[in-house]
Amino acid sequence: MSRQGSSLRTYLLTRVALAVPTVLILLTMVFLLMRVAPGNPIQAALGGHVSQKQIAIRSHRAGYDRPILEQYGDYLKGAVTGHLGTTLTDHRTIGNIIVENGSATLELAIAAFAIALAVGIPIGISAGRWRDTPVDIGGRLFGIVIYAAPVFFTGFLAQLLFGTALGWLPTSGRVGPITEFELSKPTHFYLIDSLVTGNWSAFSDVVLHLILPALTLGLLISGVIIRLVRVNMLQTMKGDYVEAARARGIRERRVVIHHAFRNALVPVVTVAGLQFATLLGGAILTEQTFNWPGIGAELVRYLNNRDYIAVQGIVTVFAIAVVVVSVLIDIINAFVDPRVRY
Amino acid sequence: MGRIRGFAVAGAAVAALAVAGCGSSGTGGGGTIIRGTTDQPVSYDPAGAYDLPSYDVVYAVYQNLLTIPAGGNKPVPEAAQSCDFTDKTTYKCTLQSGDKFSDGTSLDSKDVKFSFDRNVKIASPTGASSLLTNLKSTSAPNPQTVVFNLKAPDATFPFVLTAASFAIVPADGPNAYPADKLQPSTKAVGSGRYTLASFKPGQQTVLEKNPKYSGADPAKNDRVFIQYFNTSSALKLAVQQGDVDIAYRSLTPTDLKSLQGASGVNIVAGTGTEIRYLVFNLGLQPGSSDAQKMAVRQAVAQTIDRQAIANRVYEGTVTPLYSMVPKGLQYADEAFKTQYGASPDVAAAKKTLQQAGVKTPVPLEVWWTPSHYGPSSGDEYAEIKHELDASGLFNVTLKSTEWNQYSTAAFTNKYPEFQLGWFPDYPDADDYTASFYAKTSFLNIGYDNPTMDKLLAQEKASTDSSVRAKDFAQIQKIGAQDAPTIPIWQGKQVAAVRNGISGVQETFDPSFIFRYWLITKG
Repeated sequence: MSRQGSSLRTYLLTRVALAVPTVLILLTMVFLLMRVAPGNPIQAALGGHVSQKQIAIRSHRAGYDRPILEQYGDYLKGAVTGHLGTTLTDHRTIGNIIVENGSATLELAIAAFAIALAVGIPIGISAGRWRDTPVDIGGRLFGIVIYAAPVFFTGFLAQLLFGTALGWLPTSGRVGPITEFELSKPTHFYLIDSLVTGNWSAFSDVVLHLILPALTLGLLISGVIIRLVRVNMLQTMKGDYVEAARARGIRERRVVIHHAFRNALVPVVTVAGLQFATLLGGAILTEQTFNWPGIGAELVRYLNNRDYIAVQGIVTVFAIAVVVVSVLIDIINAFVDPRVRY
Repeated sequence: MGRIRGFAVAGAAVAALAVAGCGSSGTGGGGTIIRGTTDQPVSYDPAGAYDLPSYDVVYAVYQNLLTIPAGGNKPVPEAAQSCDFTDKTTYKCTLQSGDKFSDGTSLDSKDVKFSFDRNVKIASPTGASSLLTNLKSTSAPNPQTVVFNLKAPDATFPFVLTAASFAIVPADGPNAYPADKLQPSTKAVGSGRYTLASFKPGQQTVLEKNPKYSGADPAKNDRVFIQYFNTSSALKLAVQQGDVDIAYRSLTPTDLKSLQGASGVNIVAGTGTEIRYLVFNLGLQPGSSDAQKMAVRQAVAQTIDRQAIANRVYEGTVTPLYSMVPKGLQYADEAFKTQYGASPDVAAAKKTLQQAGVKTPVPLEVWWTPSHYGPSSGDEYAEIKHELDASGLFNVTLKSTEWNQYSTAAFTNKYPEFQLGWFPDYPDADDYTASFYAKTSFLNIGYDNPTMDKLLAQEKASTDSSVRAKDFAQIQKIGAQDAPTIPIWQGKQVAAVRNGISGVQETFDPSFIFRYWLITKG
């Protein structure tokens, strides 16, 4: 037992230690790519309006012509100390972007993930349980179609139907303009903020704005979960313990949920966890479609403006978030699945 | 049964949310105006602002010494009572008495001097301090008087003073601006018609009527929300659904066309001074002598069908442009129309090329960018290629690249012919001529005409409008003859507004100042 505990500790330490070079490589790549790409924020903003000489003077003032190693050193120092700087194009701190836009992305990701699980797991279980029946075919077809449809296309259709044609739901933003201004935001998670402050009209506004983007993104992710749950259900349904449970006269519903699905859940947790990590970055298109003020949409904007500081800062946080989630999943797996070797 | 009840409860909850939400996500009432835009501001500190979206808010929150009144094209006093040249290089302004910043601090000449001094000192990479290169010093001999000492005579200086970059900020008081760095945008304080109530980059700016504003024309509304959108299609949906009252900058021509029949939405258009033009690099363009090169440029000017571009590509949201100085500005003169006619004349173009001994078809490598001048640029240059190729006189190869690369390559002798656009720094013909035709132009295309340079220096130095009129007529005439740049179109300012909104039409003029204070609802 103690040998197993020590082994687990070694595994976890190794996993955490490996995360450091992973993040460092990511940060270095982002830094280099931003420097290799042509242009800088001054060029992007004022090119075609002032002379190249003026642009060179302004770029010098902003420090873009400093030696690249010096810039790299400052960047790493900032990343380590948590001072990721101030954006060049609109003078915002990276911390402000993470808090305000990151919370928007996280709120959307959590809602979308909840929808993905709520839709994906029941359909996956049903498809696995009733293999090769219309339920299975329908479930698989739904999974494939919903996963293959581009999120901006699904989103746009949803906007046209529920926003423009029916007028039921708002099609853009995280909340209405007046609520945005008046809502007190202690946590920057608007659902929580509106609940904590007891602002019910704001709460309803937040929920209504969340429905379409969360549904669009959630259904997309559910396509993966459906296939994953189905495949694992098919395997576990063939297990001896399932046969044994049936032989003991346990009700089929209980056999499927308690015996087959529980065992099918381990790989699902792994992949679902990784899906959540990619959701943080992958929500960019959804954010663009629904004008959701998330960190992905901001990243695109800053990329177009060649804002080194903003892009580096946002990608740094993305990278750390994805690595942390991956490590956490490994740790959870190591605890819950005794077959994991370390 | 339980499940059915569950669905019913969920449905009722969504319906209840929808009803409750209507109250809070709607467009608001009374004196609240909601504008949607795809333009993102850079800085609300005038010293860091040199872009339209920042200017829009700076004009609302601060005051300048001079401003361009709605519908006008000449500077008039705003925070100043009067301004005038006392000699060729001295410009003196007397301030209005009793002006206050929104925090109650008095506005006097030391604030004005401070504003100009810090602008030059900070020299923000995102600001417009380069427009003050002709300013030698600023002095404040008494609280009501400011004196600007210029290095050389400059008739455009009053226009420069109208730019939002040179708005007046507080030098002291509880919200004094730092002398050597930019004030954060969230802490903007001025003496204008509004106060900045909130700014969330990428999401929203909120302006509230300034009760301490003492000017003659206070805001006609109480509050303005500016909502930022990532895409023009999202902006279009928002105005269609009534989430915003005004959708302005930038809806695509296609979006505007589809909104024309939309219920509750009106399209409002007014004069704009945004232009698009084609540039020739005189060193790289086809032609074995200066005469041949000029003939090629003239033949292109004779062949392009500007009206077809305006109609087919831009659905009538732009108008043909026949001078680098757009219509609506003082001294604008359609020199290209005089020189080459309003419609394309292929026979004349052929003759021009033949007389210069240019072999046809002339190969032209024309560059354009898909990521800076709007989504219709591709169609515009496809149309230009079609027109030039169809004449049989040219063989056009179109090439494109992203703006970040384009904006360097175009001005460093990489592209023989290329697309460009221009927004005014200040609404004077000088900004549309000296910028392109001077030997020191940012275009860096090798155009060097001593007569042109002499005329440009002359118009800049003269405050006599009859002298300037004569100079600009000559400048535009030579510009059309030499044609180093060929004007293509002039944009209209176009907005989609909900029923009940008025005042937008009044603010659409060549100055490009979006005057929120003129807009009313209901």
